[in-house]
Amino acid sequence: MLEAVNISFESLNMATLIPMLVAIAGGLVILVIDLLKSDLDKSLYVTLSILFLLMDLGATVGLDINQRGFFDVMFIDGIAILSQIVIIVASTLFIPLAFASQKFHEYKYPEFFALFLFMTAGFQFMVASDNLILIFVGLETASLSLYTLMVLHNKDKSFEAAIKYFTMGAMAAGFYAFSSMIFYGLTGSVELYKIFEVLQARDFEPMILILVATIFMLASFGFKLALVPFHTWGPDVYEGSSAALAGYISIVPKIAGFVVVMRIFEGLINSGVVWVEYILYAVVVLTMTMANIWALVQSDVKRMLAYSSISHAGFVMAAIMIGTTQANSGIFLYWILFAFTNLGAFAMLWVSHKRDATYHERFDHPFEKFAGMVKLMPIGAVMMGLFMITLAGVPPFSVFWGKLYLISSAVNADYLVLALIMAINSAISAYYYLKLVVFMFLKDPISNEDGSVYMANASLSLKVILGIAAFFTAISIFLVNPILDFTSYYVAMSGF
Amino acid sequence: MDYILSVLIFFPALAGLLGFLIDRKAVRSYVTTVATIEFILSLYLWIQFDNNQLGMQFMEQASLIPAFGIQYLLGVDGISLFIVVLSTFITLIGIISLPEDTKDLKEMLLTLLFLEMTMVGVFVTLDAILFYLFWELSLVPMLYIIGAWGGPKRVYASVKFFLYTFAGSLIMLVGMLVMAYLYFQATGVWSFSLLEWYRLQLPFDYQLWLFGAFFLGFAIKVPMFPFHTWLPYAHGQAPTVGSVILAAVLLKMGSYGFVRYSLPLYPDASVYFIVPIAILSIIMVIYTAMVAYAQKDIKQLVAYSSISHMGVVVLGTFALNPEGITGSIFLMISHGIVSGALFLLVGVIYDRRHTKMMDEFGGLASVMPRYALIFGIMMMASVGLPLTIGFVGEFLSLVGFYKVSHILTILAGTAVVVGAIYMLSAYKKAFFGTVTKDENKKLLDLNGREYATLVPLTLLVIFLGVYPKPVLEPVDNSVKAIVSLMHQKAITDEAKEVIPEINFNEEAR
Repeated sequence: MLEAVNISFESLNMATLIPMLVAIAGGLVILVIDLLKSDLDKSLYVTLSILFLLMDLGATVGLDINQRGFFDVMFIDGIAILSQIVIIVASTLFIPLAFASQKFHEYKYPEFFALFLFMTAGFQFMVASDNLILIFVGLETASLSLYTLMVLHNKDKSFEAAIKYFTMGAMAAGFYAFSSMIFYGLTGSVELYKIFEVLQARDFEPMILILVATIFMLASFGFKLALVPFHTWGPDVYEGSSAALAGYISIVPKIAGFVVVMRIFEGLINSGVVWVEYILYAVVVLTMTMANIWALVQSDVKRMLAYSSISHAGFVMAAIMIGTTQANSGIFLYWILFAFTNLGAFAMLWVSHKRDATYHERFDHPFEKFAGMVKLMPIGAVMMGLFMITLAGVPPFSVFWGKLYLISSAVNADYLVLALIMAINSAISAYYYLKLVVFMFLKDPISNEDGSVYMANASLSLKVILGIAAFFTAISIFLVNPILDFTSYYVAMSGF
Repeated sequence: MDYILSVLIFFPALAGLLGFLIDRKAVRSYVTTVATIEFILSLYLWIQFDNNQLGMQFMEQASLIPAFGIQYLLGVDGISLFIVVLSTFITLIGIISLPEDTKDLKEMLLTLLFLEMTMVGVFVTLDAILFYLFWELSLVPMLYIIGAWGGPKRVYASVKFFLYTFAGSLIMLVGMLVMAYLYFQATGVWSFSLLEWYRLQLPFDYQLWLFGAFFLGFAIKVPMFPFHTWLPYAHGQAPTVGSVILAAVLLKMGSYGFVRYSLPLYPDASVYFIVPIAILSIIMVIYTAMVAYAQKDIKQLVAYSSISHMGVVVLGTFALNPEGITGSIFLMISHGIVSGALFLLVGVIYDRRHTKMMDEFGGLASVMPRYALIFGIMMMASVGLPLTIGFVGEFLSLVGFYKVSHILTILAGTAVVVGAIYMLSAYKKAFFGTVTKDENKKLLDLNGREYATLVPLTLLVIFLGVYPKPVLEPVDNSVKAIVSLMHQKAITDEAKEVIPEINFNEEAR
């Protein structure tokens, strides 16, 4: 007979779980409403999702720093709170993209919104734990929801994308499980801090097993974050998903991944074992440089943006490798600023969504589509131009400050060569962003249309989102200091 | 007016934003008014400027990103004062010069206002990040001007222009960040303020690397040999107003950067690199002068001659004595006026004949005598004839460098001779002889708009050529401050020996 487990409710510290529970409850409420009364308009579900996300945000902001809960598997430190805030805010900004003026298959289903909330909860679990098993549960919850969301788009391309993502994701999950197994076998724990304690105590022996575990872990997150050479699914998945979802994929899953990588590799890098740093260094440089070079030759804007987000992820990985407090708070600064600009760029693609093969038989958003846009729709062209030169890192717009801060943290940590590589990569990337600017501003329109194609999918709320993105991108010079104070505080509190 | 510098920077930009509301037909008068007010403001700045006060004036300071030591820090001294006036003046001239039939005139005019903001911004900021910000931002309007209104290969030219400068300045940005880090290590405070950086004495090997990083950014902009290849393309494809502003102001950002950043921050490295940079400058002077001689396209000729003169500017700067630096700053201003005017003149004939090939012309002096006269004066100024504006700066720069090296100066001096050869032979081909082409027989002489742009430039060329003192005096005071700063900061034996030698040898005797 099993012994009765005797624990008090207080010791569970359920407060740590409330943010995720709010999101999950939101998903369940949406499902219940659908059971009671079907055929309701998507606007109800979008609004409900936003409401639940806002409650979620409130619960997250209210958390106390540095506490554990729920059998100690939940671990709420500064970066857990910070990254949850980023995840929720970005989700709140992306979900209203469903208010498009055209009809889409996926938004007919309330399940889409329920899954969206489950996915958010999954990402929140991922970042709010240092237990390898809970991280895995969060990761899989989020990923499985995401595959389904992708396939709901109901196009051949999106099936292909979802299957590709699913296969790669399954492999990554396998790698992750394998790596966790080795760590558990070596140390007898799945808690990260304990794992590193034990490894430290036995002086990182046997090296070969730790190497294998590290490589598997890196490959797993390499797939999840689309780092070179594990990036091959990335552009295809972006191409197959709707622009709205592609924008989401480029922001939210990545920040969750970065936090986990930060937690896992922080300990390994600080171990003083040089090869960890060498491997990461190689991955970082390859990711930044190769993604940039591939982006140069793309003929579709969405694929170009896919490679561009891979390259931006490389920048952030560089900061994780550097690992100083400045670099770690720079990661959040970078990603918050990047999120607004990337949101704007993908929202712009989404607004111009129109399914026909006028411009290209395969791609929805070839460069030619935007030729001479400034003559047909000047405001849209100026906005898109703003997002592009921002992504290229032209000051004083948002991404520049992130780059400045990350390059500076590389300099301060004596990674001068890395700083130069980052600078040169920024210069390379300018070319493909400029390519779109050149098409929009310097070429003549190809078709004799009136520019309605650029607003084919527009609605008021989409325009509002575009406005928000452009506004924050343009005035970011005044946002840097508050964001920096905020992120530095949380990062320093958690000791990274 | 305490905030005159902020007004100078943001007035054109705000006016440009409001300009979108204005009707297409009225926008030209609007923009001309704005540019005139801006020019008058800059003249007011000059009048209020106190010649006897050393150091920065009209300072403004506000914290921008305190967590990272980035400030909103503005100020002018004698060096930047005249380049600011030049920027507003040339922008005004450029706006007046735009022909009525320019396509998308409204967009062009508003873009010029934004460009004006960035140009003034670069020259009055004293915070490195703010400087970088305006420096990079100036690329965007110029990209648009070249790319949208340029010749057949405009897209290639504009993208090349952007990428070259962008790549160079990113390396410079890394240099700035290293500099800030060194400052942080020395003082425990983050700062990008140039005035505070001035106080920092750096070890020699750091200076070498940092000098290199800044040099790359500035040298591409100047453009120095071998980074000059973007400029002929940009000039060749740009519309007239684009070339005018590019040659007159944008190139000065690079040479201004040398004076403002490289010399006072890295005195020992500057001394160390005198000879290599002088050799690069001399190659630039002589080689581009020869290339200019080989051109058939009159605009390319002016473009290469413009590069060639920028070589003398760099040479004068690296004389590291008041004569040379003052001369090079004066030459920046005179080069701005003269090459701006030459591009305008090329634009005049291009508007009439839609070709820039020299063998299409001949005997123009008999058809367009007034045009020929102004062209002649500008050409003489470009060659450096005494009593024109070109002579003063070129002479002072070479005199300054003569103290450093006699042989190198003589080599650079040959460029003046080569300059005279290609300019005079081009003038001969285009203006003298008989009119060979029928199309040229009916060409009209200058019209009112062209007089309005060219006559003020011509008067300036002659006035400042005869009496350069109002400009030279304030420049000289500020330059002396920089040179004495370098003298104080020098740490290597070489620099300690060389700087006094090239500066104070009169007293020593």
